Amino acid sequence: MEVNIIQALLVFIVAFIMGIDQFSFLESLYQPIVLCPIIGLILGEFNLGIVVGGAYQLIQIGSMPIGGAQPPNAILGGIMATVFAISLGMEATADGVGAAMGLAIPFAVFGQYAVTLTFTIMSGMMAKADECAANADVKGIRNINYMEMAILGVLFGVLAVAGLYGGSELGAKLKDFSFEYSWVMAGLDAAGGAMKFVGFAILMKVMMSAEMWGFLLAGFAMALICQANASIASATLLLCAFVGVAIAIYDFLMQTKIKNSAGSSVGGGSDGI
Amino acid sequence: MAYNIPERYQDLTPAPQLDKKTLNKMVWMSCFLQASFNYERMQAAGWLWGILPGLQKIHTNKEDLKASMAHNLDFLNTHPFLVTFVMGIVLSLEQNKAETSTIRSVRISAAGPLGGIGDAIFWLTLVPITAGLTANIAMEGNILGAALFLIIFNAVQFAVRYWLMHWSYNLGTKAVTMLTSNAKEFTRAASILGIFVVGGLIANYGTTSLRIYVGDPAINIQGLLDGVLPKLIPLAITLGIYTLIKKGWTPVKCILLILICGVVGCAFGIFAGDSKAMDADGNKIPGGYTPLVEWYELPAEE
Repeated sequence: MEVNIIQALLVFIVAFIMGIDQFSFLESLYQPIVLCPIIGLILGEFNLGIVVGGAYQLIQIGSMPIGGAQPPNAILGGIMATVFAISLGMEATADGVGAAMGLAIPFAVFGQYAVTLTFTIMSGMMAKADECAANADVKGIRNINYMEMAILGVLFGVLAVAGLYGGSELGAKLKDFSFEYSWVMAGLDAAGGAMKFVGFAILMKVMMSAEMWGFLLAGFAMALICQANASIASATLLLCAFVGVAIAIYDFLMQTKIKNSAGSSVGGGSDGI
Repeated sequence: MAYNIPERYQDLTPAPQLDKKTLNKMVWMSCFLQASFNYERMQAAGWLWGILPGLQKIHTNKEDLKASMAHNLDFLNTHPFLVTFVMGIVLSLEQNKAETSTIRSVRISAAGPLGGIGDAIFWLTLVPITAGLTANIAMEGNILGAALFLIIFNAVQFAVRYWLMHWSYNLGTKAVTMLTSNAKEFTRAASILGIFVVGGLIANYGTTSLRIYVGDPAINIQGLLDGVLPKLIPLAITLGIYTLIKKGWTPVKCILLILICGVVGCAFGIFAGDSKAMDADGNKIPGGYTPLVEWYELPAEE
């Protein structure tokens, strides 16, 4: 397959936009059913792109980004599946394009690495965000958001163009690399999974006082109980909120009652703050 | 943290109602909730960016705007399509100049449960149905499939975003005026709910676990821990970091510590982690990855 510089540039731009769209903006442009036809159009095989998009979309239905989990990346997967279907001259039928999906998987995995890396690096930017907030620097907050979108866009653009020229040879190399250094990526994965505890700890610092420890453990226990029961596991946090609301309302009513009766016996009408 | 967030705003006069135009602008901005997503605070900076148009109108006092921006950078993870519900409520509290700790507690309590609801509505219902139907049209080589998918998905998405914003803002402003006469008690109740939900978040999102097997026959250490208390490790790490932060550690320092522990731990195969890597035949690596130093044997999967 001959690729000219304009096509490469267009693929870069499309991958740049989709890299952003997977988390922000419309969150639907990047789905393979839309993405693959666009790539097909750029490379001159519109019809084949449509078919690959439909086939990839069916696989993708089973791996949605639920509960913060990151499935193998559909964008690079979709782009490369289209590229392979075209370069290998596959037939534009559902069965004909099947093999293209398998060849695309190493790229989908690498797309996932790009996301993991970006999320890790941007954790370090939160200190900068705190500083901007403390100075009421509205533009600074905006720029932090622009920055991550730009990083994601460029990473995806570069990977897509590399895939466009490197093809299946590059795919095999990427596969070897990820196999060789799997412990590094697993380490980032494990660390990424634990970083949210820092966010929880900051929230605790705001709300915690000696009398609150029981409620923290109660919420923890409530969530564990819900998770152990498959039929209600998906509603865990909602059920936690229900129980929490009941406790909070009860406490609110009791406290206001105590305040009002204490106020009337002393005879003062102020709210005592 | 160098900046201490005050408990109360300086200007305690309620701000005028936000106009429709500002609310609609924030509906649009809510699409970029995850623009600066990261592992530490997740959607925090995108959230702040999204409600800034409203905050700037509400807090004409610059010191108050600083305080409000600072506490709106707390950890936040909610469903991107339902976030305007949280925005409406938080804006109504900000407008009535509620205490900052109240707003923080209410925000996390409202945001947390929406994740599961949103996943159920969007990723498990709307997308599979529309994508399933339209993928079949696409596989016949018809571009109508893609067009239909985009139209249906985005029509639902924006209807939900728009309606939730206006509904929850109006609901919030009505409820808040009733509660301000008992501000102290309300803050306490909100903290109870907030801390209860944080406890739930630890168990719900805490995924850190051990990979190690020891002895012969091999015993899974994580299995033993689960027998004592499931999610013991997430709870222990959270409490450990809470202690560090109370001692004055910055969040960045905590993150670096976690990063080092994660990578070094996986070099020795201590923590469970998924590299998503495959061998030459396309098979997944057992246990998620191959440690740099293999000092124990991973039993074959049953």
